[in-house]
Amino acid sequence: MQYEIMTRPAAAVAKLSLTEGESVTCEVGAMIAMTTGLNVETTSRQRGGKGGMLKGLKRMFSGESFFLNHFTANAANQTLLIGPQQLGDIIHHELTGGTLVVQGSSWMASSNEIEIDTTWQGITSAVFSGEGIFWVKCSGTGDLFLNSFGAIYEVDVDGKYTVDTGHIVAFEDTLQFKIGKSNPSLIGSLLGGEGLVCKFEGQGKLYCQTHNLSAFGRILGPKLKPR
Amino acid sequence: MTSQLNYDISLQPDFSLLTVNLESGQQVFAEPSAMASMDPGIHLKAGFKGGIGKTLMRGLGGESLIINTFTAKDGPGEITFAPGPTGDMLHHHLEGQTLYLQRGSYVAHSEGVEIGGKWQGAKGFFSGEGLILLKASGNGDVFFNSYGAILSVDVTDDYIVDTGYVVAFEDTLQYHVTTLPGLRMAGKMKSFLFGGEGLVCRFQGQGKVWIQTRCANPFLRWIYAFRPARKNN
Repeated sequence: MQYEIMTRPAAAVAKLSLTEGESVTCEVGAMIAMTTGLNVETTSRQRGGKGGMLKGLKRMFSGESFFLNHFTANAANQTLLIGPQQLGDIIHHELTGGTLVVQGSSWMASSNEIEIDTTWQGITSAVFSGEGIFWVKCSGTGDLFLNSFGAIYEVDVDGKYTVDTGHIVAFEDTLQFKIGKSNPSLIGSLLGGEGLVCKFEGQGKLYCQTHNLSAFGRILGPKLKPR
Repeated sequence: MTSQLNYDISLQPDFSLLTVNLESGQQVFAEPSAMASMDPGIHLKAGFKGGIGKTLMRGLGGESLIINTFTAKDGPGEITFAPGPTGDMLHHHLEGQTLYLQRGSYVAHSEGVEIGGKWQGAKGFFSGEGLILLKASGNGDVFFNSYGAILSVDVTDDYIVDTGYVVAFEDTLQYHVTTLPGLRMAGKMKSFLFGGEGLVCRFQGQGKVWIQTRCANPFLRWIYAFRPARKNN
């Protein structure tokens, strides 16, 4: 797929060029503008019939929408402009048979050959992190577009690496990980304000975001009028 | 006196700042509170511009009723403008054409340009983005801004933009508010109700459309969830 990522990093958008017959699956609400030779279909399933209600429901828990939008070009040279809702960056990741684990709300679009599935990360992370309890597993061959809050930086992990759970965008599943406290004692970990961290081990690519949307919300929220 | 402004837009696209160097006696007009800094020789006059009818139409367009006039009375001077939302700002030079601006995106204009409102009729009722567009016409410079970055698209035939993302467009384009093109009618309704794209603006003809890459509304919807719950005493 031909693509161009523009106006990075704070208000990034991806411009996708589709040839006739080519199609792309996007997060609901991602479309900003497009040429008129694109057909839009809203379903709860992936193209090709996989998924359905259950996957749709799982997506809802991951912070994504129950529905997906499929854009298919029915003429040559069609362009589609997509962007996330909040301020932040976009990256392109090419999958060549491997699997990329994406933080719940960071998945934005992928080509149809990519299988998207939601995974539950267990009760410990659900209780403590308040974010990223569901991750979206993307596998297959094709293009993947991810978004973040703040800018995205890439880390090539070789050995061990620790990231705050709120700053993870995505990582290759060649990496082993364990979610744990940042400090051996729970109190130390809470006082340190770092909450839960993800401890990676192995070799693989890791994408991190410079800012944490929930942390920003927790700062702004109390200053607003009660609802 | 020339109507062409000597200007510079810096820090694009995230924190755009407009700097105008006024010649002696030259004027620039801007929305209230857009002025960030200026030389002391520049005089500000707040006021209703263009008569009561135009002023009211502007008010319906979502802009303030008042447009401020800045005049370089004591020799040349520099003035800077920074609009409220973080984001991009662009310049467009008019030579007799007309430009439509989405509500809230007007920043400033030079002498020779008229700013008024335009009733969209029923078209705008469903868009949720304001029933009235601002209309800029005449000869001179117009500056407009948005939340997020602004992209310019040359429409040569047919183009679709989500209604919430339209910043401005040239009046050579025909436009109507519609739903996304779908295969079947049922599919269309589903896309409309659940597709999250709501209504789109379809532009036809030849001309430029300016698109913003972010909208403030999703940010507001998101922050709402973080508001404290009201206590029941």
